[in-house]
Amino acid sequence: MAFNGPILLKRIPDEASQRKLIRYDDYVASGGYKAYNQALAMKPEDIINVVKDSGLRGRGGAGFPCGVKWTFLPKDIFPRYLAVNYDESEPCTFKDRYLCEYDPHVLLEGIAIAGIANRISASYIFIRGEYHTQAKILEEALKEAYEKGIFGKAYPGTDIVHHCYVHRGAGAYICGEETGLLEALEGKRGWPRIKPPFPAVAGAFAKPTIINNVETLACLPYIVENGAAAFKAMGTPTSSGPKLMGVSGHVNKPGVYEEELGIPMGKLIEKYAGGVKGKYKAAFHGGISMGVLGTNQYDAPLDFDIGKAFGVLGLGTACVTVMNESTDMVKVARNCVRFYAHESCGQCTPCREGSAWAYKMLNRICDGRGKAKDLDLLLEIGLAQGIMPGTTICGLADGTNWVIKTILQKFPEEFKAKIKAESVQGVDVTVGGVKV
Amino acid sequence: MAWIVQNRLQPYTPTRSEPYITEKIRKEIEEKYFPRYPTKRAALLPLFHLIMHEYGFIAAQAIDEAATLLGISASEVQDAATFYEEFRFEPSGKYVVNVCRSIACELCGHEKVLAKIKEIFGIENFETTEDGLITLFEVECLGLCEFAPAALINGERQCNLTPDGFVETLKKLPKEVAPHDNGH
Repeated sequence: MAFNGPILLKRIPDEASQRKLIRYDDYVASGGYKAYNQALAMKPEDIINVVKDSGLRGRGGAGFPCGVKWTFLPKDIFPRYLAVNYDESEPCTFKDRYLCEYDPHVLLEGIAIAGIANRISASYIFIRGEYHTQAKILEEALKEAYEKGIFGKAYPGTDIVHHCYVHRGAGAYICGEETGLLEALEGKRGWPRIKPPFPAVAGAFAKPTIINNVETLACLPYIVENGAAAFKAMGTPTSSGPKLMGVSGHVNKPGVYEEELGIPMGKLIEKYAGGVKGKYKAAFHGGISMGVLGTNQYDAPLDFDIGKAFGVLGLGTACVTVMNESTDMVKVARNCVRFYAHESCGQCTPCREGSAWAYKMLNRICDGRGKAKDLDLLLEIGLAQGIMPGTTICGLADGTNWVIKTILQKFPEEFKAKIKAESVQGVDVTVGGVKV
Repeated sequence: MAWIVQNRLQPYTPTRSEPYITEKIRKEIEEKYFPRYPTKRAALLPLFHLIMHEYGFIAAQAIDEAATLLGISASEVQDAATFYEEFRFEPSGKYVVNVCRSIACELCGHEKVLAKIKEIFGIENFETTEDGLITLFEVECLGLCEFAPAALINGERQCNLTPDGFVETLKKLPKEVAPHDNGH
């Protein structure tokens, strides 16, 4: 564990008033595109190996090892595409927006390196529709990169030309799911696909495609320049490297901060975000889909092993939203479930109907019209949807599942308190068979 | 009959003799976007962003024109375009106000901001003020959590809203506005 200051955010000052867009010249002057030039002289396999050795895991939520993902590409099928997932729509998450708002070239350099390693013909940066200004910033940066020959020229020794384009989404959370993203890229509704075939074999336009998160790609320049060992020196054995962590909610200084993986959440909040406003009660540690950390889990270390140890789905985006003692957890559950009910793409019945049903029930409970059996039913609806129970195509419903499950199991007494008094008389209120 | 029966065979937006996909938009699609993708259909999202930028909504006639341009059927275009929340099929106010209602903004008090807007301007979610200036949309997370509660006015970020402060901002919006500033 050795983290000596920011790596991804090294060009962005902490002081908000000093931040400005980093253009190509400033980027190069501060050591930018050095790794790109290094990568040009390397063999593709060597780049893939260094990324594999670094233990870089996907920063978008699932945490799949990046170098391993690259090796899934079939050997001799071309063209290959890279889809950059900048569809950052997970509630509580804003790290990619912050990074590329000021330093778009770190992403472009990462894309260029991934391009060299995988002989990519076209990279599509899929940016969410709401990021209007950020898309313009990216277009400008891309223009500079084209002028300087980062894109639009063939890789050494080949005739494969690497192009890079910005492709704007139009307001659909589900397009952040990798195959939903590909459908949107192809000009269809963003409906996730059934796998297999996996995108690495038949992705965008039925060609081999890699899908990487913005932050994952932004880590590449550092890895290529400093080697796998330097990257591995940060973080924990299973979760190496630095991580952007956005802190929001009831804290004194919300914002995006960079720390190594494995930092306890409480330390992150106190060291960077100025501490909790009021008394800590709960937190979403990685977007709402991962579920909630309870009152006694303030010091949970933010790494990829958080899931099993703290009863949540996983690390997610590591963007923390803190809730203090004034927060009504039933309302929080209602807000989150409404999000899923709204964003469900409608393909799979358990997700489409289940999330809407759960939202209606939570509305009822919030209004004081809940019944004693509601909590058990709510949990049942929650647990029945998702990839893990095997009832849906994509992981959106797992978000609904985990948010209902974790809030209900970690704060059952708040739900009970809201249930109609007469319906509780003489009846046990249970959550998953356990009496509250 | 308690309900009004609408004739759904009639297009719900006006048709006009000149095309919605103007020569300029067509040229941009054909020269800039078609070469980017292996299929013409992939230019659907960029095309509709251009149409939204030009008109602020997508007319039924534009869907037919898009089908011809992209070489797919009108129903396929409609199928894809209606999936996306940012594409609207009816004209909206000059200023589209997207107020975030997701969890970080709710924790920081977006409900009071929304209530105040609704009270002062007399509009609900999806509605436009009578002078045609402001259309309100309650939307899910805008990715502006560190500035919660947050909103977008025609794509421009509004941070750390207070009920009174935001209503003031909305009241001060100039009545004359360039149609291109709609965030698309």
